[in-house]
Order: sequence, then C-alpha cells, then structure tokens
Amino acid sequence: MISITVNGRVCACEEGEYLLDVAERNGMLIPHLCYHRGLLPIGACRVCIVEVIERGRSKVVASCVYPVRDGIEVHTASPRIREQRSVIIALLLSLAPGSTEIKRLALQLGADIPRLVKAPESDTCVLCGRCTAACEALGTGAIAKVGRGVTKKIAAPFDGMPPDCIGCGSCAHVCPTGTIAYEHTDESVSVWGREFELMRCTGCNAPLMTREQHDFLTRKGGESPELLCERCGKQGVARKLKTRERYLG
Amino acid sequence: MDHSTHIEEIARRYPAERRFSLAILQDIQREFNYIPAEALPIVAARLDTPQAHLYALATFYKSLSLVPKGKHVVKLCDGTACHMRGAGNLLGSLSRQLRLDADGRTDDGQFSVELVNCLGSCALAPVMVVGEAYYGKVSLEQLPTLVDSYREGGENDE
Amino acid sequence: MMSDNATSRTLLVCCGTGCLANKAAAVADALDAACPEASVKRTGCNGFCENGPIVKVQPDDISYYRVKPEHAEKIAASLGHGPVMSLLFRDADKKLVLRQADNPFYAPQHKVALRNIGTIDPLAIDDYLDAGGYRALERALAMEPDEIIAEVTASGLRGRGGAGFPTGVKWASARAEEVFPKYVCCNGDEGDPGAFMDRSILEGDPHSVIEGLAITALAIGAEQGFLYIRDEYGLACANVAAALGAAEARGYIGTNIRGSGRRLRLEIVRGGGAFVCGESTALMASIEGRLGEPRAKYVRSVQRGLWDKPTVLNNVETLANIPVIIAQGGVRFAEIGTEGSKGTKVFSLVGKVERTGLVEVPMGVTLRHLIFDIGGGIRRGRRFKAVQTGGPSGGCIPEGLLDLPVDFDTLTEKGAMMGSGGMIVMDEHDCMVEVARYYVKFLSDESCGKCTPCREGLRQMLAILTDLCEGRGQQGDIELLERLGATMKESSLCALGQSAPNPVLSTIAHFRDEYAAHIEEGRCPAGVCPALTTFVIDSEACTSCGACKKACPVDVISGDKDTPYEIARDGCIACGSCRESCRFDAVSAHQRKEALA
Repeated sequence: MISITVNGRVCACEEGEYLLDVAERNGMLIPHLCYHRGLLPIGACRVCIVEVIERGRSKVVASCVYPVRDGIEVHTASPRIREQRSVIIALLLSLAPGSTEIKRLALQLGADIPRLVKAPESDTCVLCGRCTAACEALGTGAIAKVGRGVTKKIAAPFDGMPPDCIGCGSCAHVCPTGTIAYEHTDESVSVWGREFELMRCTGCNAPLMTREQHDFLTRKGGESPELLCERCGKQGVARKLKTRERYLG
Repeated sequence: MDHSTHIEEIARRYPAERRFSLAILQDIQREFNYIPAEALPIVAARLDTPQAHLYALATFYKSLSLVPKGKHVVKLCDGTACHMRGAGNLLGSLSRQLRLDADGRTDDGQFSVELVNCLGSCALAPVMVVGEAYYGKVSLEQLPTLVDSYREGGENDE
Repeated sequence: MMSDNATSRTLLVCCGTGCLANKAAAVADALDAACPEASVKRTGCNGFCENGPIVKVQPDDISYYRVKPEHAEKIAASLGHGPVMSLLFRDADKKLVLRQADNPFYAPQHKVALRNIGTIDPLAIDDYLDAGGYRALERALAMEPDEIIAEVTASGLRGRGGAGFPTGVKWASARAEEVFPKYVCCNGDEGDPGAFMDRSILEGDPHSVIEGLAITALAIGAEQGFLYIRDEYGLACANVAAALGAAEARGYIGTNIRGSGRRLRLEIVRGGGAFVCGESTALMASIEGRLGEPRAKYVRSVQRGLWDKPTVLNNVETLANIPVIIAQGGVRFAEIGTEGSKGTKVFSLVGKVERTGLVEVPMGVTLRHLIFDIGGGIRRGRRFKAVQTGGPSGGCIPEGLLDLPVDFDTLTEKGAMMGSGGMIVMDEHDCMVEVARYYVKFLSDESCGKCTPCREGLRQMLAILTDLCEGRGQQGDIELLERLGATMKESSLCALGQSAPNPVLSTIAHFRDEYAAHIEEGRCPAGVCPALTTFVIDSEACTSCGACKKACPVDVISGDKDTPYEIARDGCIACGSCRESCRFDAVSAHQRKEALA
C-alpha cells in the first residue's frame, strides 16, 4: 500500500493503479470521455487531465493512464487544469456541436470559444476511440480509426459496411455521445448499415444473439455454444444438477 | 483484372504474423502502384487480422494509396527548404500544365502529382522526383520540358 | 607514364542522393572508362550537395565540384600533372581552393559521426574495416556490459534525435531490467522537414550504425534488433540491407559474433511514411504492425517497449558515435563540446544561405558561426531574418539571439530547440505568419489524430493562421493562438503534440508585429501572402533582361528591349516568382488593395 494526496486528501492505494480510479474510489470525480471501466485506458480525449506534483516538479497528466507513485500530490481542478480542460472541451464542442453530452460538459465547465471553426450542427462523434477499443477487445476489430491527423474518423473499410462486424452492438453501447446508430427489433438488429438476423433461445424462444455472433463464438471457442438465454441456461444447469443428485443419491 | 493470385503470392513472402502487415502492403503498393480493394480480404485471411485493421494502415501511412497512381508519379518536395524556395509555385504550374484532377492525376493515367514531405535533399531545393529520378533546383522555366520528356514517346517515357 | 600516375590514384565520386540528382552515377561511369587504371570509388554524401557532383583525387587531396561526365577525360589526363583548374572551388574572394580542408565550408568542421562518409565505399565492408571499423565491437566483446555502459556514460553522449536524453542512463535502465527478450532499435525515420543527416549516414556509412547497434545489444543483453528506416529513403534501405549481409558474412552480427557465442539478429523495417513514427512509442507500434499511434509514456520503453519488453531505441547519429566512444574511450569524446552537451552535432544548413549542406561541428558553436562563417551568410546580399531550428517541433530564432551557443539546453530555454539538427535560414522575403502556417499545416496532416489537444488544436490553429494569411484575421487572434498553444503544450499525449505549437508561439514571441500587420492592416510585410500582396516593376531599375517574364507561371508580364516590363493586374496570382527571379531588385512587393483574382 502507498498513499497519495488528491486535492489535499490522503488516499491509500496500490502502486501502479491508475490515478483516475483512485480519485473516483475516494469520491472525487474527474470529468472524462474516453475512459470506460470495461476497457483498457485509451488516454486520447485528455478531458481527465490533472496536475501532479512529484519531487517538487509539477506536470499535467491524463489521470486515466497515469500509474500512481507513492507520495505524489494531485490537483484535479487547479486554475491551470480548469483553463486547459475548458480549452479541450471548447475544442470538442467545435468538433461535435450536436452532442448533448459535450454541450452539457461545456456548460458545466464554462467552455466555449466562439472564434473556433465549428463542424456541422449534426456532428456528434468526438473521436474518443471507445468504439474501436471495444470492438478490438472483443476480437472482431470490424471498425477502425481511419486516416490520420485532422482527417481522422471512425469507419469500416472503404466507408462501407464492415465485413467482420457481428452485430454485437458493443460499439454503440460504449459510445459516450450516442453517435453510433444501433436499431433493435424482435427479429433483427442493425448497425453500421448492416442488418443481422437474430437467433432465438431454444428454451423460451426469446431473441438471443445474431447468427454472426454465434458463428464468431463458435470459431473462438472451438465448439458451438448452446442457444439458451441466461434464464433458460440457469434452469438447464439446475435441472442437470437435480438429475445428478438423484442419480448419485 | 484479377490480381488475387499475385496478391496471395506477395502475402506469402512473409511469415503469417501481424507485424508484417505493413511490409506486405508496401510490397503490394510497389507492385500495383496502389492497394487494390481485393487485396484486403486476401491479406486479412493470410494474417488472421480484420480487414478494418489493414484499411486503417492503408489510410494512415502515406506510402500506401487506395487509388491508382499515374504511370509517372511526380513528387514535389514540400520540405521547409523547398517550400521557401517555391515548391508551391511549382505545384501550381504543374496543375495548370497537366490539368490535374482533384486527386492530382491526369485523365490519361500518365501522371500523378503529389506534394510530399521532405525528401532529405534540402541543399538542392526545390526538389522534384519523377519515379526514382531526382531533380534539384527545379525552376518554373524548365518544368514544361522536363514534364514533356516523360509524356508518351518522350525520351524519359519507357 | 600516365598509367603509372593513374594506377596509384583513387578517385572518390560522391554518390549521395544529392549528387546522384546531378548525374554523379554517369560521372563515375565516365571516370571508370576514362581512367581504367585508377580506382574509382562511389562514396556517400559529402554534404556540400549544392556544388555536386564532387570528385576527390587521392592521395593528391584535390577536390573537384560540379563535375560533369564530359569532364572525365580532362581529369584522367591531369592525374599526376596538377589539378584541373576549372573544376576547383572558388571562395568568396574568387581564390581557387585545392584541398577540401581549405574550403571555407569544410574548414571549421569537426567530423565524428560523419568520419567515414565521402572517403569510403559504403558497399565495401573492407573499406570500413580499413578505416578502423568494427574494432570497437571487438573491444566491446571483451568488456563487461557495465564497462561498456560506463564508457558511454563517461562520454556524456545525449540522444541526437532531438530529446537529448543521456544515452548511458537509457542503456543502464534497460540493462537493469530482468525481463527477456530485450530489443534494440535504430530510429531512422528522419522526418523533420529540412533535415537529412540520418539519411546521409545510413547511405554513406551504414556499418557505423550497425556496429553501434551491435554494441548497444551487448550492453543491455539483447539478441534481436530492428532498423526502422523511412521507405522514401530507397538508397539508405538498400545500403543498410547490403551492409547487414556483409556484416553477417564476416561474423559481426549473426548467430556467433566473432566466435564469442553471442548472437544478434538485425532486420530492417521500412517506415510507412508517417512523421509521428519518429516518436518512440509510435515507432514501436509500427514495428509491431499496428497503427503508428503513440501511447502514454508514463512507463518508459526501457521497461516496456516492443511487445512490452525492455527496448532501447537510439537515433542513427547517436549510434554512429558509439564505435568512436568505445574505441577511443568516453573521456576523450567528452573533451569535445560544452559542459552539458558533449561531442559534435550534424546540422543540415539549408534555406537562404549562400552555402547549403550538411555540416558537423562541436556542440556549443554559435548560430552566427554556422550561418555566416560556414554558410557564407545570406544569399544575394539580403538581410537575415530568422533561423528555424528543430523542424516542426522547434522554433524561429531572430537576429538578436544569433550569438547563442547551439546545444541541447540553450535553444530550449529560448522556446526553440536544437532538435535533430535541421537549420533553415530565412531572409527578409519570408513571412513569419506563413512559416507558422506551413508548419501547422504539416503537423495537422502528420499528427496521428489520437488526442484532442493536438488534433483539434492544430485544426483550429490552421484555420486561424489561414485567415491571417488571407486577410481575414480578427482582433484577439494572436491571444487565442497563444491560449491554444499553452494547452496543447501541456496536455497533449506525446512529444509531437506537446511541441506542435512551438513554431507558432516562437514566431509570435519574436515577430508579433508581423502578425499584427496581417490582422490590423491586412498587410504582409514580407510580401509573401498572395491575398495581401501585389508586385510592381520599377522601370528605372529594370534592365529589360526578361528573367521575370520567363519565370512568370501565368504569363502576365509583358515587355521587351524597347517596351518597359510590366505586370498585368488581371491574372496575376502574386506568387512572387518575378521578384525572386530579378537580379536587379527591380520587382517590389506592395500591399494589395483589391481582391485577388
């Protein structure tokens, strides 16, 4: 165990833990966009910047990827951080003027620079990279960060429909600005311009997963997973156990 | 035209490891002067990597292009030294002379012209490269003759 | 008699990329044919590219410049009979210069990293061995890793790629890691516009880099390494590949280095054409076959680099210094340079100076010495305005700071940096706002686009600077650029983003008036920004030579011997080619009042 101070409060933590996690655990919220609990830290949006003072030297770091070291002093809302964070939010607002999440942050943190060139009002993507990180973590990698520099965007090959997409919807689920359209009916889901037929639970006939998801799991796991929803699956296990008890008993 | 056998052959020059993605794409680029769309699924299957990954590489790295380039690729260096010594004017002049389209190509497929990052021949600024041939201290005056020598039937057109 | 004279002589033909552009290969072939008894060697870059192709005759120590294939016969006939006068260099006083060492461009230089370039054939490993090559590696094989690192630490060598991190400290950290395998890497992704020293070393003396890398591997305990080289550097890739083959054949790398039982496998990775891949973590991502995006460096590459294993990455020029340090001892190396910056540094001195090229000088010489003594001052008697050092990560330095010593720390204190050694000289006809716009445009294309401050900051800076250059500047723009710059500098993810605002901030710091003129008066004082500038020919000064008419890309200049030359308003694109072409200063720039066509 080591200890650090965040905004004057002493916090106990493990060496190497990420600073943002430690701060949040101790009840100090740091605004963030690309950070998501279920993903490896990305460190791209820079909204979660904080000031760290170590051995008398002060620096600005992204708290979501900064591993803590014993004795560091952290300030999450010093004047320097407030200024830089507000510039970053203003930049994001000009990139995604249509996003309610960014508008909310901008209002909350007093960030707007009217002179900045604004993207069309309909734009909402902030290029945080959560969607591609989620897609890659799942092993599909169907969408990617395309281009570079100021032309960077999230897309599938040739701006078309992603051939490797399995319709799981994780990208849409993690998107902080609701940019990725994910439609769900009883029979099918559609995302990235593709429609995916849903397979059903063999127990209760509830829609379960897309055929592509099933194929993907089969490929990964080496055998075809049972088509059972969570409830029916549990019931099945319980039944089996019961049978076994009877047999053994 | 079907290039798949050829692309397959290029992909097989390297071990089936993801780290060779870029090298394979570079070889394909060298061979075809661009990355044909059909190359993506072939290389993806060979390396067991998503097509989107390869597409991202192809759009990230400048040495790769998804659109076919002209028979003669003209690179105008826009490194700082060349910029200071009028690379922009050379580009303007070439565009007018060759009637380049938005992608910097001529409609007969003979030329594509690109403004590129420093080619490291700064002492000869401004520098122009046609194919593999370097030209230093290029002047607006000599540009028309130089370009003509690469036109069909010209002394440098092979 | 003549053949005796020829037999004993070696003709060194510079075949660097610059000289090749001026048909050096044909010169070498013609010399081969004209003097079959002499030995003709094709060497790497001599650095004085503008005056190439360069041919040196040894042992007479005669240097010829601007040699053409048709001069071969003349040179052949002269061997043993004195020099060909017409091919010698003339200094500022029109005096003929025989030896390279007496040439004002070379005289003040001190070659360490470039020691062999121009005197050996890069494709002949025996040339390198004759010059003392691989002796340092033999020596290192007999040393303990800690002894090797101690020599490097004693030398005070700092990374030549720009950051200036002490090489010995880096090696010691990697050596201390107990995780294997470890890797060594050479950063040959030279991307700073205006810098070409790494290219020259890779092309002209590839074995020095391989030897440096092999010694690094011995010191940290690595058995595999990569040389990441820009794909655009075709000759460099080819020469390094050939050198790797030769080094392996002689056992300097491979499975059993000189019988020691040590092994090292080196391979070339061709860069994909992305400036950001010069950044260490992006370069490593690229070698792994991923997108060249940097990651947070709170954990260093010496701990977790390639494939999360301890990795040492050194720049080409840094590695080329290593064999010298091991062969002569670190203390001797440390005698050159300043307190904090030891050794020499190679600069590419380009732009509006009289003599351009690659120069290697001890650390600590002044900018003035570089530009005015070695570079011969500003071309065409114009006035010096600024020198941009360190490429897009660096800054513009004005006349008032020319007496600063060039080393790792001094320039950084002034908001510029020595960087990898690009040195671009600008004169009164260069607009500082346009220069800033140029670098920001470059970086907005070359940023990887991962983090917000760099990507979006550059996008907005480019929009504002373009507005300024086109007469749409607004009050408050300078302050907004400074505000954006301050945030980018501290909160960007990698060194590219953190240094991206430097060209803007340094030009604002030293040339604020010029920014103000664009905004408040719609005037470009240097006469560069076309939307704000118009050109006029002074009929008094005009000699009717017609140079401007020939140079005009849109044919709007009329005149002949009898009619005074004139620029038509209609169709003129204000590119300034006429002003640059005029030898009599008869074309001048004025503020444009009407809109540009």
